[in-house]
Amino acid sequence: MSAAAVSPGLRLWGAYVRWSARQPVLASLVPFVPVLVLWAAVVQSGIFPRVFLPGPIEVVEKFGTLMANGILPAYLEDSVVRLAAGTAVGLAIGIPLGLLVGLSDRAYRVLWPVLLFFQAIGDIAWLPILLIWFGFGLTTMIFVIVYTVLFPVVLNTVLGVRSVPLELHRAALSLGASRARVLWEVVLPGALPNIMTGLRNGLGFGWRALIAAEIIVGTSGIGFLMFDARRAGSVVEILLGMAVLGVLWYVVDSWVLAPIERATGQRWGLVTR
Amino acid sequence: MKSLTIDHLQKTYFDPFADKQVTAIRDISLSVAAGDFVSVVGPSGCGKTTLLNLIAGFLAPTAGEIRVDGRAVNGPGPDRGVVFQSFALFPWRTVLDNVAFGPKMRGVAKARRHEIAREYLALAGLGHAAERYPNELSGGMQQRVGVVRALANEPDVLLMDEPFASVDAQTRMTLQEELTRIWAQRRSTVLFITHDVNEAVFLANRVIVLSHGAVLDDIAIDLPRPRAWDALIEDAGFKALSARVLQQVRAA
Repeated sequence: MSAAAVSPGLRLWGAYVRWSARQPVLASLVPFVPVLVLWAAVVQSGIFPRVFLPGPIEVVEKFGTLMANGILPAYLEDSVVRLAAGTAVGLAIGIPLGLLVGLSDRAYRVLWPVLLFFQAIGDIAWLPILLIWFGFGLTTMIFVIVYTVLFPVVLNTVLGVRSVPLELHRAALSLGASRARVLWEVVLPGALPNIMTGLRNGLGFGWRALIAAEIIVGTSGIGFLMFDARRAGSVVEILLGMAVLGVLWYVVDSWVLAPIERATGQRWGLVTR
Repeated sequence: MKSLTIDHLQKTYFDPFADKQVTAIRDISLSVAAGDFVSVVGPSGCGKTTLLNLIAGFLAPTAGEIRVDGRAVNGPGPDRGVVFQSFALFPWRTVLDNVAFGPKMRGVAKARRHEIAREYLALAGLGHAAERYPNELSGGMQQRVGVVRALANEPDVLLMDEPFASVDAQTRMTLQEELTRIWAQRRSTVLFITHDVNEAVFLANRVIVLSHGAVLDDIAIDLPRPRAWDALIEDAGFKALSARVLQQVRAA
Protein backbone atom coordinates (compact mmCIF):
# COMPACT_ATOMS: atom_id res chain seq x y z
CA MET A 1 0.00 0.00 0.00
CA SER A 2 1.52 3.32 -1.01
CA ALA A 3 1.14 6.48 1.07
CA ALA A 4 -2.47 7.66 1.21
CA ALA A 5 -3.33 9.96 -1.68
CA VAL A 6 -3.61 13.62 -0.77
CA SER A 7 -7.09 14.86 -1.58
CA PRO A 8 -7.32 17.60 -4.26
CA GLY A 9 -8.82 20.02 -1.71
CA LEU A 10 -5.90 19.56 0.67
CA ARG A 11 -3.48 19.95 -2.24
CA LEU A 12 -5.14 23.23 -3.20
CA TRP A 13 -4.92 24.44 0.42
CA GLY A 14 -1.23 23.49 0.48
CA ALA A 15 -0.63 25.53 -2.67
CA TYR A 16 -2.43 28.48 -1.09
CA VAL A 17 -0.38 28.25 2.11
CA ARG A 18 2.87 28.18 0.11
CA TRP A 19 1.75 31.11 -2.07
CA SER A 20 0.68 33.20 0.95
CA ALA A 21 4.04 32.58 2.61
CA ARG A 22 5.74 34.03 -0.49
CA GLN A 23 3.25 36.90 -0.94
CA PRO A 24 2.15 37.91 2.58
CA VAL A 25 0.86 41.34 1.51
CA LEU A 26 -1.27 40.01 -1.34
CA ALA A 27 -2.39 37.07 0.80
CA SER A 28 -3.63 39.40 3.53
CA LEU A 29 -6.09 40.85 0.98
CA VAL A 30 -7.58 37.49 0.04
CA PRO A 31 -9.92 37.17 3.08
CA PHE A 32 -11.60 40.42 1.99
CA VAL A 33 -12.63 38.98 -1.38
CA PRO A 34 -15.64 37.07 0.02
CA VAL A 35 -16.67 40.16 2.04
CA LEU A 36 -16.67 42.30 -1.11
CA VAL A 37 -18.44 39.62 -3.14
CA LEU A 38 -21.15 39.28 -0.50
CA TRP A 39 -21.56 43.05 -0.34
CA ALA A 40 -21.83 43.34 -4.11
CA ALA A 41 -24.30 40.45 -4.23
CA VAL A 42 -26.56 42.02 -1.61
CA VAL A 43 -26.48 45.33 -3.48
CA GLN A 44 -27.12 43.58 -6.79
CA SER A 45 -30.10 41.65 -5.41
CA GLY A 46 -31.91 44.95 -4.95
CA ILE A 47 -33.18 44.20 -1.43
CA PHE A 48 -32.17 47.71 -0.38
CA PRO A 49 -32.54 50.88 -2.48
CA ARG A 50 -29.19 51.96 -3.98
CA VAL A 51 -29.23 55.27 -2.08
CA PHE A 52 -29.24 53.38 1.21
CA LEU A 53 -26.68 50.77 0.25
CA PRO A 54 -24.32 51.61 -2.62
CA GLY A 55 -22.01 48.89 -3.93
CA PRO A 56 -18.23 48.55 -3.75
CA ILE A 57 -17.76 50.00 -7.26
CA GLU A 58 -19.48 53.26 -6.29
CA VAL A 59 -17.38 53.51 -3.13
CA VAL A 60 -14.19 53.00 -5.15
CA GLU A 61 -15.33 55.65 -7.62
CA LYS A 62 -16.03 58.03 -4.75
CA PHE A 63 -12.56 57.24 -3.39
CA GLY A 64 -11.13 58.25 -6.76
CA THR A 65 -13.08 61.52 -6.82
CA LEU A 66 -12.17 62.53 -3.27
CA MET A 67 -8.51 61.63 -3.84
CA ALA A 68 -8.45 63.66 -7.05
CA ASN A 69 -9.98 66.79 -5.52
CA GLY A 70 -7.66 66.52 -2.50
CA ILE A 71 -10.34 66.29 0.19
CA LEU A 72 -9.60 62.74 1.29
CA PRO A 73 -5.78 63.16 1.50
CA ALA A 74 -6.22 66.38 3.50
CA TYR A 75 -8.77 64.85 5.90
CA LEU A 76 -6.71 61.69 6.23
CA GLU A 77 -3.64 63.73 7.08
CA ASP A 78 -5.57 65.75 9.69
CA SER A 79 -6.86 62.60 11.41
CA VAL A 80 -3.51 60.78 11.32
CA VAL A 81 -1.57 63.81 12.59
CA ARG A 82 -4.03 64.27 15.47
CA LEU A 83 -3.76 60.60 16.37
CA ALA A 84 0.04 60.62 16.13
CA ALA A 85 0.40 63.79 18.19
CA GLY A 86 -2.04 62.58 20.83
CA THR A 87 -0.36 59.17 21.00
CA ALA A 88 3.12 60.70 21.30
CA VAL A 89 2.02 62.88 24.21
CA GLY A 90 0.14 59.95 25.77
CA LEU A 91 3.28 57.78 25.61
CA ALA A 92 5.51 60.59 26.89
CA ILE A 93 3.34 60.94 30.00
CA GLY A 94 2.18 57.33 30.30
CA ILE A 95 5.47 55.43 30.23
CA PRO A 96 7.27 57.51 32.93
CA LEU A 97 4.13 57.51 35.07
CA GLY A 98 3.79 53.76 34.64
CA LEU A 99 7.46 53.24 35.60
CA LEU A 100 6.99 55.35 38.73
CA VAL A 101 3.83 53.57 39.82
CA GLY A 102 5.28 50.17 38.92
CA LEU A 103 8.56 50.67 40.79
CA SER A 104 7.48 52.61 43.88
CA ASP A 105 5.15 50.98 46.39
CA ARG A 106 4.23 54.39 47.75
CA ALA A 107 3.37 55.82 44.34
CA TYR A 108 1.39 52.65 43.66
CA ARG A 109 -0.64 53.01 46.86
CA VAL A 110 -1.34 56.68 46.23
CA LEU A 111 -1.89 56.76 42.48
CA TRP A 112 -3.34 53.39 41.49
CA PRO A 113 -6.90 54.03 42.86
CA VAL A 114 -6.88 57.49 41.27
CA LEU A 115 -5.79 56.04 37.94
CA LEU A 116 -8.57 53.46 38.05
CA PHE A 117 -11.08 56.18 38.89
CA PHE A 118 -10.12 58.40 35.97
CA GLN A 119 -9.80 55.45 33.63
CA ALA A 120 -13.48 54.78 34.23
CA ILE A 121 -14.47 58.25 32.99
CA GLY A 122 -14.37 57.34 29.33
CA ASP A 123 -12.90 59.61 26.69
CA ILE A 124 -16.23 60.80 25.33
CA ALA A 125 -17.52 61.56 28.81
CA TRP A 126 -14.96 64.36 28.94
CA LEU A 127 -16.27 66.05 25.79
CA PRO A 128 -18.99 68.20 27.41
CA ILE A 129 -16.62 69.83 29.86
CA LEU A 130 -13.78 70.05 27.33
CA LEU A 131 -16.07 71.89 24.93
CA ILE A 132 -16.77 74.44 27.64
CA TRP A 133 -13.08 74.77 28.53
CA PHE A 134 -11.39 74.63 25.13
CA GLY A 135 -14.21 75.07 22.62
CA PHE A 136 -14.57 73.29 19.29
CA GLY A 137 -11.00 72.81 18.22
CA LEU A 138 -7.74 70.94 18.12
CA THR A 139 -7.07 71.23 21.87
CA THR A 140 -10.26 69.38 22.71
CA MET A 141 -9.53 66.62 20.21
CA ILE A 142 -5.91 66.17 21.30
CA PHE A 143 -6.98 66.11 24.95
CA VAL A 144 -9.42 63.31 24.25
CA ILE A 145 -6.81 61.26 22.38
CA VAL A 146 -4.11 61.80 25.00
CA TYR A 147 -6.55 60.84 27.71
CA THR A 148 -7.63 57.73 25.85
CA VAL A 149 -4.10 56.59 25.03
CA LEU A 150 -2.72 57.42 28.47
CA PHE A 151 -4.59 54.90 30.60
CA PRO A 152 -3.95 51.68 28.69
CA VAL A 153 -0.28 52.71 28.47
CA VAL A 154 0.03 53.51 32.19
CA LEU A 155 -1.84 50.45 33.41
CA ASN A 156 0.04 48.08 31.11
CA THR A 157 3.40 49.68 31.89
CA VAL A 158 2.73 49.14 35.60
CA LEU A 159 1.91 45.48 34.93
CA GLY A 160 5.05 45.15 32.80
CA VAL A 161 7.32 46.73 35.40
CA ARG A 162 5.90 44.49 38.11
CA SER A 163 6.33 41.40 35.96
CA VAL A 164 10.13 41.82 35.72
CA PRO A 165 11.57 39.15 38.04
CA LEU A 166 13.40 40.44 41.13
CA GLU A 167 16.42 38.30 40.13
CA LEU A 168 16.94 40.39 37.00
CA HIS A 169 17.20 43.57 39.09
CA ARG A 170 19.59 41.80 41.44
CA ALA A 171 21.66 40.33 38.61
CA ALA A 172 22.13 43.78 37.05
CA LEU A 173 23.00 45.39 40.40
CA SER A 174 25.57 42.71 41.24
CA LEU A 175 27.11 43.14 37.78
CA GLY A 176 27.76 46.77 38.69
CA ALA A 177 24.70 48.56 37.29
CA SER A 178 23.51 51.73 39.02
CA ARG A 179 19.82 52.16 39.84
CA ALA A 180 19.42 54.40 36.79
CA ARG A 181 21.08 51.81 34.55
CA VAL A 182 18.79 49.11 35.95
CA LEU A 183 15.84 51.24 34.87
CA TRP A 184 17.18 51.52 31.34
CA GLU A 185 18.74 48.07 30.96
CA VAL A 186 16.25 45.90 32.87
CA VAL A 187 12.95 47.57 33.72
CA LEU A 188 12.21 49.19 30.36
CA PRO A 189 13.02 46.22 28.13
CA GLY A 190 11.30 43.88 30.60
CA ALA A 191 8.17 46.00 30.51
CA LEU A 192 8.31 46.56 26.74
CA PRO A 193 5.95 43.74 25.71
CA ASN A 194 3.32 45.11 28.10
CA ILE A 195 3.99 48.68 26.98
CA MET A 196 3.37 47.49 23.41
CA THR A 197 0.07 45.95 24.51
CA GLY A 198 -0.83 49.26 26.12
CA LEU A 199 0.11 51.13 22.97
CA ARG A 200 -1.93 48.76 20.83
CA ASN A 201 -5.00 49.17 23.05
CA GLY A 202 -4.39 52.90 23.39
CA LEU A 203 -4.12 53.40 19.64
CA GLY A 204 -7.25 51.35 19.05
CA PHE A 205 -9.26 53.30 21.62
CA GLY A 206 -7.64 56.58 20.56
CA TRP A 207 -8.61 56.02 16.94
CA ARG A 208 -12.25 55.43 17.92
CA ALA A 209 -12.19 58.43 20.26
CA LEU A 210 -10.75 60.61 17.51
CA ILE A 211 -13.52 59.68 15.09
CA ALA A 212 -16.12 60.41 17.77
CA ALA A 213 -14.45 63.72 18.61
CA GLU A 214 -14.28 64.69 14.94
CA ILE A 215 -17.95 63.88 14.55
CA ILE A 216 -18.81 66.18 17.44
CA VAL A 217 -16.23 68.96 17.29
CA GLY A 218 -14.48 68.47 13.96
CA THR A 219 -14.13 70.74 10.98
CA SER A 220 -12.01 68.18 9.11
CA GLY A 221 -10.88 64.57 9.38
CA ILE A 222 -12.37 61.19 8.57
CA GLY A 223 -14.98 61.39 11.32
CA PHE A 224 -16.05 64.81 10.03
CA LEU A 225 -16.17 63.47 6.48
CA MET A 226 -18.61 60.76 7.55
CA PHE A 227 -20.80 63.02 9.63
CA ASP A 228 -20.83 65.71 6.99
CA ALA A 229 -21.86 63.09 4.43
CA ARG A 230 -24.80 62.17 6.64
CA ARG A 231 -26.02 65.77 6.40
CA ALA A 232 -25.77 65.57 2.62
CA GLY A 233 -27.36 62.12 2.64
CA SER A 234 -24.36 60.58 0.88
CA VAL A 235 -24.21 56.97 2.03
CA VAL A 236 -21.32 56.37 -0.40
CA GLU A 237 -19.09 58.75 1.53
CA ILE A 238 -20.09 57.21 4.87
CA LEU A 239 -19.20 53.75 3.61
CA LEU A 240 -15.96 55.11 2.20
CA GLY A 241 -15.12 56.61 5.60
CA MET A 242 -15.80 53.27 7.29
CA ALA A 243 -13.60 51.46 4.79
CA VAL A 244 -10.81 53.98 5.31
CA LEU A 245 -10.97 53.47 9.10
CA GLY A 246 -10.62 49.72 8.73
CA VAL A 247 -7.81 49.89 6.18
CA LEU A 248 -5.86 52.45 8.16
CA TRP A 249 -6.01 50.38 11.34
CA TYR A 250 -4.92 47.29 9.42
CA VAL A 251 -1.95 49.19 8.01
CA VAL A 252 -0.89 50.56 11.42
CA ASP A 253 -1.15 47.12 12.96
CA SER A 254 0.64 45.12 10.29
CA TRP A 255 3.27 47.69 9.28
CA VAL A 256 4.10 49.25 12.64
CA LEU A 257 2.88 47.33 15.71
CA ALA A 258 3.29 43.74 14.62
CA PRO A 259 6.90 44.16 13.33
CA ILE A 260 7.93 45.82 16.61
CA GLU A 261 6.38 42.98 18.58
CA ARG A 262 8.09 40.38 16.41
CA ALA A 263 11.45 42.09 16.93
CA THR A 264 11.12 42.39 20.71
CA GLY A 265 8.91 40.32 23.01
CA GLN A 266 8.45 37.42 20.58
CA ARG A 267 12.14 37.30 19.71
CA TRP A 268 13.08 37.29 23.39
CA GLY A 269 10.60 34.56 24.25
CA LEU A 270 8.69 36.84 26.63
CA VAL A 271 5.53 36.54 24.54
CA THR A 272 4.42 33.27 23.05
CA ARG A 273 3.40 33.51 19.44
CA MET B 1 40.48 36.58 44.15
CA LYS B 2 39.95 37.94 47.60
CA SER B 3 38.91 36.71 51.01
CA LEU B 4 35.44 36.86 52.55
CA THR B 5 34.89 37.47 56.26
CA ILE B 6 31.58 37.27 58.08
CA ASP B 7 31.49 38.54 61.65
CA HIS B 8 28.61 37.78 64.04
CA LEU B 9 26.01 38.17 61.32
CA GLN B 10 22.35 38.37 62.33
CA LYS B 11 19.20 38.81 60.29
CA THR B 12 15.70 39.08 61.66
CA TYR B 13 12.69 40.37 59.83
CA PHE B 14 9.13 41.23 60.75
CA ASP B 15 6.42 38.89 59.53
CA PRO B 16 3.20 40.98 59.45
CA PHE B 17 1.01 37.89 59.09
CA ALA B 18 2.53 36.06 62.06
CA ASP B 19 2.85 39.48 63.77
CA LYS B 20 6.32 38.73 65.15
CA GLN B 21 10.03 38.94 64.42
CA VAL B 22 11.41 35.91 62.60
CA THR B 23 15.07 34.98 62.92
CA ALA B 24 16.65 33.90 59.63
CA ILE B 25 20.30 34.18 60.68
CA ARG B 26 20.90 33.78 64.43
CA ASP B 27 24.65 34.25 64.61
CA ILE B 28 27.12 33.33 61.88
CA SER B 29 30.83 33.99 61.85
CA LEU B 30 32.73 32.57 58.94
CA SER B 31 35.91 33.21 57.06
CA VAL B 32 36.60 32.10 53.49
CA ALA B 33 40.23 32.28 52.38
CA ALA B 34 41.11 33.83 49.05
CA GLY B 35 40.79 31.27 46.28
CA ASP B 36 38.92 28.75 48.43
CA PHE B 37 35.80 26.87 47.36
CA VAL B 38 33.25 26.58 50.17
CA SER B 39 29.87 24.87 49.98
CA VAL B 40 27.03 25.73 52.35
CA VAL B 41 24.41 23.04 52.92
CA GLY B 42 21.43 22.72 55.18
CA PRO B 43 17.74 21.88 55.15
CA SER B 44 15.10 24.28 53.83
CA GLY B 45 14.71 27.26 56.11
CA CYS B 46 18.20 26.97 57.63
CA GLY B 47 19.06 30.43 56.35
CA LYS B 48 21.45 29.52 53.55
CA THR B 49 19.77 31.62 50.87
CA THR B 50 19.36 34.52 53.31
CA LEU B 51 23.09 34.25 54.01
CA LEU B 52 23.86 34.53 50.29
CA ASN B 53 21.47 37.47 49.86
CA LEU B 54 23.18 39.25 52.77
CA ILE B 55 26.65 38.67 51.30
CA ALA B 56 25.45 39.79 47.87
CA GLY B 57 24.05 42.92 49.51
CA PHE B 58 20.47 42.27 48.38
CA LEU B 59 19.46 42.33 52.06
CA ALA B 60 20.86 44.44 54.89
CA PRO B 61 21.96 42.60 58.06
CA THR B 62 20.26 43.29 61.39
CA ALA B 63 23.63 43.08 63.13
CA GLY B 64 27.16 42.02 62.30
CA GLU B 65 29.39 42.71 59.36
CA ILE B 66 30.47 41.21 56.04
CA ARG B 67 33.82 42.14 54.54
CA VAL B 68 35.27 41.32 51.15
CA ASP B 69 39.02 41.85 51.01
CA GLY B 70 38.70 43.92 54.17
CA ARG B 71 36.04 46.28 52.78
CA ALA B 72 32.62 46.27 54.46
CA VAL B 73 29.70 45.19 52.25
CA ASN B 74 27.01 47.81 51.82
CA GLY B 75 24.57 46.88 49.06
CA PRO B 76 25.13 44.91 45.85
CA GLY B 77 28.32 45.46 43.89
CA PRO B 78 30.45 44.01 41.13
CA ASP B 79 33.05 42.71 43.62
CA ARG B 80 30.56 39.90 44.40
CA GLY B 81 29.33 38.04 41.34
CA VAL B 82 26.09 36.09 41.75
CA VAL B 83 24.84 33.01 39.91
CA PHE B 84 21.12 32.49 40.41
CA GLN B 85 19.05 29.32 40.52
CA SER B 86 16.70 30.90 37.99
CA PHE B 87 19.70 31.83 35.74
CA ALA B 88 18.46 35.46 35.63
CA LEU B 89 19.77 36.04 32.11
CA PHE B 90 18.48 39.15 30.36
CA PRO B 91 16.05 37.73 27.75
CA TRP B 92 16.43 40.83 25.52
CA ARG B 93 20.19 40.46 25.20
CA THR B 94 22.10 37.90 23.20
CA VAL B 95 24.36 35.49 25.04
CA LEU B 96 27.34 37.65 24.06
CA ASP B 97 25.73 40.83 25.40
CA ASN B 98 24.63 39.07 28.59
CA VAL B 99 28.24 38.11 29.27
CA ALA B 100 29.47 41.57 28.25
CA PHE B 101 26.97 43.26 30.60
CA GLY B 102 29.32 43.61 33.59
CA PRO B 103 32.19 45.11 31.55
CA LYS B 104 29.63 47.41 29.87
CA MET B 105 28.59 48.74 33.28
CA ARG B 106 32.26 49.42 34.00
CA GLY B 107 32.42 51.49 30.82
CA VAL B 108 34.51 49.06 28.75
CA ALA B 109 34.24 49.92 25.04
CA LYS B 110 32.07 47.67 22.88
CA ALA B 111 34.80 45.96 20.86
CA ARG B 112 36.86 45.22 23.98
CA ARG B 113 33.94 43.94 26.06
CA HIS B 114 32.81 41.65 23.24
CA GLU B 115 36.36 40.35 23.08
CA ILE B 116 36.29 39.66 26.83
CA ALA B 117 32.89 37.98 26.52
CA ARG B 118 34.08 35.75 23.68
CA GLU B 119 37.12 34.66 25.69
CA TYR B 120 34.94 33.65 28.63
CA LEU B 121 32.35 31.96 26.42
CA ALA B 122 35.13 29.91 24.84
CA LEU B 123 36.22 28.89 28.35
CA ALA B 124 32.84 27.18 28.85
CA GLY B 125 32.62 25.87 25.27
CA LEU B 126 29.85 28.32 24.42
CA GLY B 127 31.49 30.18 21.53
CA HIS B 128 28.92 28.91 19.03
CA ALA B 129 25.98 30.29 21.06
CA ALA B 130 27.22 33.89 21.28
CA GLU B 131 24.61 35.38 18.95
CA ARG B 132 21.63 33.41 20.27
CA TYR B 133 19.03 34.66 22.71
CA PRO B 134 18.72 32.92 26.11
CA ASN B 135 15.27 31.49 25.36
CA GLU B 136 16.80 29.60 22.43
CA LEU B 137 19.10 27.65 24.78
CA SER B 138 18.53 24.61 27.01
CA GLY B 139 18.51 25.07 30.79
CA GLY B 140 22.02 23.67 31.12
CA MET B 141 23.34 26.03 28.45
CA GLN B 142 21.57 28.98 30.05
CA GLN B 143 23.22 28.30 33.39
CA ARG B 144 26.63 27.96 31.73
CA VAL B 145 26.01 31.47 30.43
CA GLY B 146 24.94 32.54 33.93
CA VAL B 147 28.25 31.30 35.39
CA VAL B 148 30.30 32.81 32.56
CA ARG B 149 28.52 36.16 32.89
CA ALA B 150 29.44 36.33 36.58
CA LEU B 151 33.06 35.27 35.91
CA ALA B 152 33.56 37.72 33.02
CA ASN B 153 33.06 40.57 35.46
CA GLU B 154 36.06 39.24 37.43
CA PRO B 155 34.47 39.42 40.88
CA ASP B 156 36.49 39.00 44.08
CA VAL B 157 33.99 36.44 45.30
CA LEU B 158 31.60 34.25 43.32
CA LEU B 159 28.29 33.55 45.08
CA MET B 160 26.26 30.66 43.69
CA ASP B 161 22.68 30.10 44.89
CA GLU B 162 21.69 26.50 44.10
CA PRO B 163 22.71 27.18 40.50
CA PHE B 164 22.28 23.62 39.22
CA ALA B 165 19.06 22.75 41.05
CA SER B 166 16.82 23.30 38.05
CA VAL B 167 18.73 21.37 35.38
CA ASP B 168 18.42 17.65 34.72
CA ALA B 169 20.60 15.18 36.63
CA GLN B 170 23.03 14.31 33.80
CA THR B 171 23.57 17.93 32.83
CA ARG B 172 24.06 18.79 36.49
CA MET B 173 26.98 16.36 36.78
CA THR B 174 28.57 17.82 33.66
CA LEU B 175 28.13 21.35 34.95
CA GLN B 176 29.66 20.40 38.31
CA GLU B 177 32.72 18.96 36.59
CA GLU B 178 33.04 22.01 34.35
CA LEU B 179 32.79 24.28 37.37
CA THR B 180 35.63 22.48 39.17
CA ARG B 181 37.71 22.71 35.99
CA ILE B 182 37.06 26.44 35.56
CA TRP B 183 37.66 27.07 39.25
CA ALA B 184 40.98 25.19 39.06
CA GLN B 185 42.02 27.48 36.20
CA ARG B 186 40.89 30.75 37.71
CA ARG B 187 41.07 30.07 41.44
CA SER B 188 38.16 32.34 42.27
CA THR B 189 36.84 32.53 45.82
CA VAL B 190 33.53 30.66 45.67
CA LEU B 191 30.64 30.33 48.11
CA PHE B 192 28.28 27.68 46.80
CA ILE B 193 24.81 27.26 48.33
CA THR B 194 23.10 23.91 47.81
CA HIS B 195 20.83 21.41 49.50
CA ASP B 196 22.48 18.56 47.62
CA VAL B 197 25.04 16.91 49.90
CA ASN B 198 26.88 15.05 47.12
CA GLU B 199 27.18 18.24 45.12
CA ALA B 200 28.53 20.13 48.13
CA VAL B 201 31.21 17.51 48.79
CA PHE B 202 32.11 17.01 45.12
CA LEU B 203 32.79 20.70 44.49
CA ALA B 204 34.24 22.13 47.66
CA ASN B 205 37.35 22.29 49.81
CA ARG B 206 35.12 22.93 52.80
CA VAL B 207 31.47 22.20 53.55
CA ILE B 208 29.59 24.36 56.06
CA VAL B 209 26.43 22.85 57.51
CA LEU B 210 23.86 25.42 58.59
CA SER B 211 21.06 24.79 61.03
CA HIS B 212 18.50 27.30 62.28
CA GLY B 213 20.56 30.27 61.20
CA ALA B 214 23.86 29.14 62.72
CA VAL B 215 26.88 27.06 61.71
CA LEU B 216 26.42 23.47 62.90
CA ASP B 217 29.57 21.99 61.41
CA ASP B 218 32.54 22.89 59.22
CA ILE B 219 33.99 19.91 57.39
CA ALA B 220 37.23 19.92 55.37
CA ILE B 221 37.02 18.06 52.04
CA ASP B 222 40.51 16.80 51.28
CA LEU B 223 39.65 14.82 48.14
CA PRO B 224 42.26 15.10 45.36
CA ARG B 225 41.63 17.25 42.27
CA PRO B 226 40.78 17.21 39.44
CA ARG B 227 37.53 15.55 40.45
CA ALA B 228 35.32 13.52 38.13
CA TRP B 229 32.09 11.74 38.93
CA ASP B 230 33.15 8.51 37.22
CA ALA B 231 35.98 8.12 39.72
CA LEU B 232 34.45 9.66 42.83
CA ILE B 233 31.07 7.96 42.74
CA GLU B 234 32.67 4.71 44.00
CA ASP B 235 35.44 6.39 46.00
CA ALA B 236 35.51 5.37 49.67
CA GLY B 237 36.76 8.78 50.84
CA PHE B 238 33.99 10.60 48.94
CA LYS B 239 31.35 8.24 50.30
CA ALA B 240 32.58 8.68 53.87
CA LEU B 241 32.57 12.48 53.63
CA SER B 242 29.15 12.55 51.98
CA ALA B 243 27.78 10.27 54.66
CA ARG B 244 29.18 12.50 57.37
CA VAL B 245 27.75 15.67 55.83
CA LEU B 246 24.41 13.98 55.24
CA GLN B 247 24.29 12.89 58.87
CA GLN B 248 24.84 16.46 60.00
CA VAL B 249 22.25 17.87 57.58
CA ARG B 250 19.68 15.37 58.80
CA ALA B 251 20.52 16.20 62.40
CA ALA B 252 20.18 19.91 61.61
